[in-house]
Amino acid sequence: MSAIAAKPGAAAGAFQPVASLIAIFFAIIFIGTAYWLLGSFGCLAVEALIGIIIGAALIAFGVHFVPVGGAPAAMGQSPGIATGVAMLATGAGLAGLFGGAWAAHIGLWVALAGGAIGGGLMMAITCLMVNISYVYGMGIPAASGKVEKDPITGDSQPEYKSQGTEGHGLPFISYVGGVFGGLLGGLGGTLIYIELLNFYNVILLPTSEGTNALAVGLAGIFAIGMFLVIAVLSAYNITGTIEGPHDPKFKRFPRAIVAAICASGICGLVALLVVAIF
Amino acid sequence: MQEIIIGIGVTAFAGALAAMAGAAEDTESNIGSQGDPNSQVQLAPQMGYTHRIYNKAVSGEPPAYTLWVTLACGIAWAFTMLHVNAMLAIIFGTVLATFVQGIYATTAYLGRTASLSKFGQPVFIDVLKSVTTVTMAHAFVAILTTVAACYLMSTMLQHPFALPLLGIVWGLALGAAGSATGNPYYGKERQYQNQKFGAGVPISASGNIVRYAEAGQRSSIDNGFFTAKFGGPASGLCFGLIVFLELWRTVLFEHSLDNWGAVGWGAVIVGALIIVLFMIIDRYVEIWARTNYGPYTAEA
Repeated sequence: MSAIAAKPGAAAGAFQPVASLIAIFFAIIFIGTAYWLLGSFGCLAVEALIGIIIGAALIAFGVHFVPVGGAPAAMGQSPGIATGVAMLATGAGLAGLFGGAWAAHIGLWVALAGGAIGGGLMMAITCLMVNISYVYGMGIPAASGKVEKDPITGDSQPEYKSQGTEGHGLPFISYVGGVFGGLLGGLGGTLIYIELLNFYNVILLPTSEGTNALAVGLAGIFAIGMFLVIAVLSAYNITGTIEGPHDPKFKRFPRAIVAAICASGICGLVALLVVAIF
Repeated sequence: MQEIIIGIGVTAFAGALAAMAGAAEDTESNIGSQGDPNSQVQLAPQMGYTHRIYNKAVSGEPPAYTLWVTLACGIAWAFTMLHVNAMLAIIFGTVLATFVQGIYATTAYLGRTASLSKFGQPVFIDVLKSVTTVTMAHAFVAILTTVAACYLMSTMLQHPFALPLLGIVWGLALGAAGSATGNPYYGKERQYQNQKFGAGVPISASGNIVRYAEAGQRSSIDNGFFTAKFGGPASGLCFGLIVFLELWRTVLFEHSLDNWGAVGWGAVIVGALIIVLFMIIDRYVEIWARTNYGPYTAEA
């Protein structure tokens, strides 16, 4: 069968149990490898890697909430924010990471909450400005193309949709989805950062101030890198545009989480080994 | 107390710098035609509409600004390590990053437009000469203000990240905020000024962008002139609010609940309240639009 004859449409996004099991098996191997290769730091490395994997799963789940319309949204042809999935989610996640890293010296839970709120705040402001731009700049009310009624407010959608488009702007469900996606992204990114920071601090020996400046830099850059990996993986799962949690594509998220678990396993292992060995 | 007062001043200044950065970023990306609306500039010749609009989608705005701001931050950081005056170091870094932006813009315009030659789209050398420098000037303002805000966060507010790392974080956030807010205004409102106001562009109209101005052919600089009246300030407000509120909630409220045993939770609670406030405003804007504009009605 040629590539054209194969019809991926119906099965696109379906959960594949065998492939998922293999991916999780690989993730377990990566964790075992970390334990085996890092000798006396083995337990610490396993703890860090599990934290990284949980953080990555949160990011992958969070990306699916962010309403992204891509290029069509820039012409008011589809609902969502007019930019790329990976980039918007990363923008929110990194804003969260900024807040989380700032609060890292206070404690784990404060830092995680600070990171989550930072990401959510960035999305809350951005989504509001998108709607203000549509409503007051272009005179277009928000309308979803995927549902008849907004699942939160119950507002009917089809009659507000312009002819020849799939909808436009951000209905309230998309707004809430965006904020929730930002919260999860900020939380996951900060968790990865803190796990790496704790591990590097032990390896590189903390200074009198409690943290090592090199450890902060390395943890920050690896956390940003891993965030991008997971956001791009999830963006591939979404394939272009998504309206938020009410979009049928949202149901694809388990596949992205499995992929994120596997990808963050190898990325995390490399991030730990690079510093531990060199 | 003095620390908090300085912190508030720095927060306000960083927020103001970020607002300028957002406005300049959006105007730069509209003059250069970067980001999602550029899909129409690229599509137009393929649909038979040749034009004189600049065409420089190097990449999405967020990665492009991440590169330029991080480059400027990295160079500025290296110079400050060599004990060069910080203001001079930031300007050196920004100038170099702006030249990189100019090179990317030139190669992107030539490469993208040349790829459209089979559809009869010429490369206009006068467009290249007149528009590239204008985008570079706007990029300079956007990069300089973002790097200055990052420098304030790093030195005055003692954020643990080094300057280049802050450049990655805020460069990406700048591009994300600017493209999210500013793109629809350029894409829908400016490129499709010939379509109905108050409705999305029908997919069937894709590629039929406005190519003529009041006198002669429309230039990309006209697009910047137009979007600087709404899209630019809205993007500036968006990025300014993000930076300001992110810093403000931490500087002012981080230790406000310490006496109640919730060390550090003040900033989190204030942040959550601000999110709820923005949600309420958004819902108000949505209801306002539905009641005032009403459902879509097709033209008779």
